Amino acid sequence: MRGRKKRSYKQGNPRNMENVVSLTSLRDGEIGVVAYTVGGFGLVRRLAEMGLTPGVEVKVLRKGPFRGPFEFEVRGVALALGYGVASKVFVKPGRT
Amino acid sequence: MPSVMVWLLRYLSNLEGRNLMAKRQLTIALAGNANVGKSVIFNQLTGLNQIVGNWPGKTVERAEGTLYFKGYKIRIIDLPGIYSLSTFSMEEIVSRDYIAVQKPDIIINVVDASALERNLYFTLQLLELEAPIIVDLNQVDFAAKKGLRIDVKKLSEALGVPVVPTVAVTGSGIDEMLSTVIAVSGEEEKLKPLKVRYGKEIEEKVEALKKLVSDNLSQLCTVYPARWIAVKLLERDTDVSGKLKNYKRGKEVLKNAEKLAVELEKIHGEASPVVMASERYGLANKIAKEVTVVEASPRISLEQKLDAVTTHKVLGYPILVAIVASMFALIFIGGNFLIAGLEFLFENLLFHVEEVLSSFLPEIAVSLINDGILAGVVAGITIALPYIVPFYIILALLEDSGYLPRAAFLMDNLMHKIGLHGKAFIPLMLGYGCSVPACIGCRIMETERERFLTGFVVVLIPCAARTVIILGLVGRFVGLHAALALYVFDLVLVFALGRIAFKALPGEPVGLIMEMPPYKKPSIKNILMKTWIRTKDFIYMALPIIVAGSVVIEALYLLGFMNYVVEAASPLMSGWLGLPPEAGIPLVFGILRKELTLILLSELVPLESLTAIQMIVFSLVTMIYIPCIATIAACIREFGWRRALAITVIDIALAFFIGGLAYQLLPLVMTT
Repeated sequence: MRGRKKRSYKQGNPRNMENVVSLTSLRDGEIGVVAYTVGGFGLVRRLAEMGLTPGVEVKVLRKGPFRGPFEFEVRGVALALGYGVASKVFVKPGRT
Repeated sequence: MPSVMVWLLRYLSNLEGRNLMAKRQLTIALAGNANVGKSVIFNQLTGLNQIVGNWPGKTVERAEGTLYFKGYKIRIIDLPGIYSLSTFSMEEIVSRDYIAVQKPDIIINVVDASALERNLYFTLQLLELEAPIIVDLNQVDFAAKKGLRIDVKKLSEALGVPVVPTVAVTGSGIDEMLSTVIAVSGEEEKLKPLKVRYGKEIEEKVEALKKLVSDNLSQLCTVYPARWIAVKLLERDTDVSGKLKNYKRGKEVLKNAEKLAVELEKIHGEASPVVMASERYGLANKIAKEVTVVEASPRISLEQKLDAVTTHKVLGYPILVAIVASMFALIFIGGNFLIAGLEFLFENLLFHVEEVLSSFLPEIAVSLINDGILAGVVAGITIALPYIVPFYIILALLEDSGYLPRAAFLMDNLMHKIGLHGKAFIPLMLGYGCSVPACIGCRIMETERERFLTGFVVVLIPCAARTVIILGLVGRFVGLHAALALYVFDLVLVFALGRIAFKALPGEPVGLIMEMPPYKKPSIKNILMKTWIRTKDFIYMALPIIVAGSVVIEALYLLGFMNYVVEAASPLMSGWLGLPPEAGIPLVFGILRKELTLILLSELVPLESLTAIQMIVFSLVTMIYIPCIATIAACIREFGWRRALAITVIDIALAFFIGGLAYQLLPLVMTT
């Protein structure tokens, strides 16, 4: 979106915002529930379309080396997000 | 083998069908997510009877084929594999416009049975587009391996459309699917498609907007369903809102849509597309849960162990290096072996042709035909067969097994340093084989900026032909350590230039978002088919331009123009680069085929008479100076004229600059 002022979008209910951590702070094998994602309009929408909507459970499969990407399972599919993208996904650790 | 039999039978019945008069013609489109086996289904349906090209005006692959079945002539369009039908990438716009505007008779929605929820999200969007779909529930065997069984009847009832289970790699279920297509098209089987509905407060807004849309944009509603337009406007879809600009009251509709979207966001505290996506996923989840029977918990399979090892923090890298190195070695060794035989064959052939032609044509015409046209054809074939074919086989193997995303996963962090992400490593890796598929491979990048940036660095990677020169000249006469140093230098150069280009090009870098499909055993038939189709595409694209280039250069040579080139370039050649002036000629011919430069150089100057520095400088220049003519053609196709020209000019300037610099600086560090 060149030339247009970039708005930052944040999704998620305010009541969901307690005790949330970034996806990057989960360890291998840990489970979390997505609370919200932050970022530009395109990214937030993209992540939602890939299945990262509020309330969905994710499980970290592995972390890439040197602040590499995060691989995790969401809706039965393995998804890899670059470190920067993964740090914009906020989750509540543990199951729903 | 049974799959081959099935395929053969279908092929024979195809031939038979062609002889009969086709009762009716049908157009069907294949649509589905990436990694669901859609292209395998397409290959099963059409066999080699397919044309691969681009969608008009877009660098998005378009494959089309024809099939004869039960007296029907069926045209099949393979839509690009996508995740959703919103405007994220060109692929998605191409697909949904095709569905809405061209209105194919039936859309076969290929769905991965082992990831039903995720795939149904896409199915729901097709239903929203009010497209006539039947669902191909693919990879049921793989789902069973994961301990999942899908109740086909229930799924069909839930969606209101026929569902046919298939295993694409073996071809099982394909005939049933085609029969279903015929039955639906003949209206023997009626579709009662599920109507996708949202929560109450969203539904109110959608309906209000739908009324506005159908009242004010009646013409647009003949193409797209009014409700779909309303939903997309509520989601702030830029492609759809752009279509409204031509309508008198479009602005008013847009303003209303924006107001409703803001209201929606206030209620939910989330961006409107996220609200809608959540709702759709909610429905997809509900349906998937209802129809899936979990029969056994999945065991840790061989594939998972393989996955863990190949993406391992430490072990992953040596494996990656080994795979790239063996790919490289295979292409190189196999290529050299084949090329020697082919060249012998063609030289003899050309010699005889020349004899025959000389008997009745003037010498100049013989030269043009023989050294221009025929030499061009031979050049094309001797690149295509020995290098491209083995390369494409290995590429298909890496693709179908699912290794490529693992390589991207490992390299993501490093690629970020040059403003790209892990996926860009895939075309880069291909670049060591051949720059042409590497340029085409840049399509996997999401934005145009990323595509161009990747293309810019990809052409600098020494391909197999450039390796011939580096090893044949520097490796043979100076030593392997010097050849290796050239490779390392090239990597540093790629990295440095990538970084500069990344800083210079406007725009934000994009992070990695990539699905990691599970490892799968590749099917030989599919690999050979892919190789054949891609080789054909390569020949169609590269051969005419290689032949044309060859004729032009030969004509210039015959006209004595080459002497001027040598003369004009001699200050540059001997003064700046320290090379013998004749070295300019192989560099000109090298545009056609880079490994040719070494052969030509050896004909003009005895290689032993060159100093080590001259060899290194010559190799450096050849490595960087210009992507060969086939690569330029690929660049034009992928990035457009202007950018292809920019890449070419920058590379030439860079090659001479670095070559000259090396000539000045190397004596300081080298003792020979």
